[in-house]
Amino acid sequence: MSVTLYHWEPNANSGKPMLTLAEKGVAYESRYLDLLQFDQHKPAYLAVNPDGTIPAMVHGSRVFTESTPMMEYIDDTFPGPKLKPQDPAARWRMRWWMRFFDSYFAPSLSMIGWSIFIGPAARQRPPEELQAAIDRIPLESRRIAWRKALFNEFSAEELAESKRRVLFATLALEKHLSRSRWIAGDTYSLGDINGFNLGYALPLSQPEQCNDMKTPHIMEWLRRIYERPAARETWAMGQTQMAARIKILERNPRAPHA
Amino acid sequence: MLKLYTSEPNTFFFKPLIALAEKNAQYTTHYFDATNFEQFAPDFPSDLESGLQLEREGPLLVHGETIISSTSFMLEYISESLPGPSLVPGDSYDAYTLRAWAQYLGAQLGSIVPVLGCAKYLKPHLASLDPATVDRHIAAIEPIERRAGWLALRDGTYSPGYLKTVNERLAAPIARVEKALQDGRWLAGPAFSAADIDAYPMLCVLPDLAPATVNQHSTPRIMEYLARMAARDSVREALRTAKTPHPEQQFVPGIEASRWG
Repeated sequence: MSVTLYHWEPNANSGKPMLTLAEKGVAYESRYLDLLQFDQHKPAYLAVNPDGTIPAMVHGSRVFTESTPMMEYIDDTFPGPKLKPQDPAARWRMRWWMRFFDSYFAPSLSMIGWSIFIGPAARQRPPEELQAAIDRIPLESRRIAWRKALFNEFSAEELAESKRRVLFATLALEKHLSRSRWIAGDTYSLGDINGFNLGYALPLSQPEQCNDMKTPHIMEWLRRIYERPAARETWAMGQTQMAARIKILERNPRAPHA
Repeated sequence: MLKLYTSEPNTFFFKPLIALAEKNAQYTTHYFDATNFEQFAPDFPSDLESGLQLEREGPLLVHGETIISSTSFMLEYISESLPGPSLVPGDSYDAYTLRAWAQYLGAQLGSIVPVLGCAKYLKPHLASLDPATVDRHIAAIEPIERRAGWLALRDGTYSPGYLKTVNERLAAPIARVEKALQDGRWLAGPAFSAADIDAYPMLCVLPDLAPATVNQHSTPRIMEYLARMAARDSVREALRTAKTPHPEQQFVPGIEASRWG
């Protein structure tokens, strides 16, 4: 049975199944959707995922639209290295951190990202075209999110609160990684894949909070993942400058590798 | 060494009680009154994850040295770590369905149901206590997000307009569950699973909290499903742990609503 993945850049939710499939060595048909052209709200894609959210994976006749459970499905279904630890407590920890990334860290980080990147990029186009694009979004919650991003409706308080949460979550993650080599313990897992997609550009977007002095364990963890062949392969699929941000994780070639 | 820190069998607290009964597990309990701030006692178990858990108030399962929080994943932990029948489907697509429901309903019902329950039951309860004592308890809660769930009950957040909006947000997840139950008796595949243990405690209080949305006429499949679940031995056993006459009226703040609107 073939696998088709509908995705945007290797970043956030799209990058989670991309990197998981690459780690497992699963060949898949890549269908790139341009988020800024609203490809995900066009009829061709709505026929695949009526909610109009990305990513979506099609395996045989089945469609998967929730990115974190999708990662577990990929690990459960395909041969290749196991990406979930055997120990139930380590598995629980992996899932706990994935939820923390998905539901606490990512929404605040993406609010900042949308306000400075996606909103301004999309506002190059006429407002009536943007409004028409918003009107086509199937889920009300996504319509609200896009309206805020496209018309710059984030309040100063909301953005300040998001910045506070990003700092708070960064410090919690640093604390965790100071006691644990990987998210779930001794072995690389889906938790690291999830966290990497969230955090690979933190040293660039939050340089005062995420750097070698303040968060050495996060920096080392990000670099270790960046050096994996599957991460190189996946980020090479990026088509915009967004994916190129990953270069911030390049070690100084003159310095010895840790 | 398995010990469940639990309050009345309702919402998040109800879930592990059902799962442990399904497993016929041997465990001890530490009962606390979550509506009277007993979970903030200095000797209550706490670590990085339990302190930051997004359900804000909920049970803890202490297994050896590990403190398990966050009930959807607690159910998977119970399934994987204890002997007895697996609560996670063996088929990987059905297991995906279980996790997708947990993610979706966690964000939806997990944030809506506690607000409706707190508005109806916890708010008047807190109002009956000494205000200075309540405010002192709340002021000491960390982190800010957890404290905010309690502050909302005191600062006027629970206005009629706010509660109307929260009620309206129920429509989409309830429609999705009703539709799923037209296609099958259980939420994740052909058999009962942790998806049902995860969803039932959030659904079973809605005929009381939101009778206009969940009722015999509008959601007949959900009403049948609630009766089917209520008849299970594990659900009855979980309810027998109640220490008050009305555990279904015990609510504490739950998951925060999405900050994206």
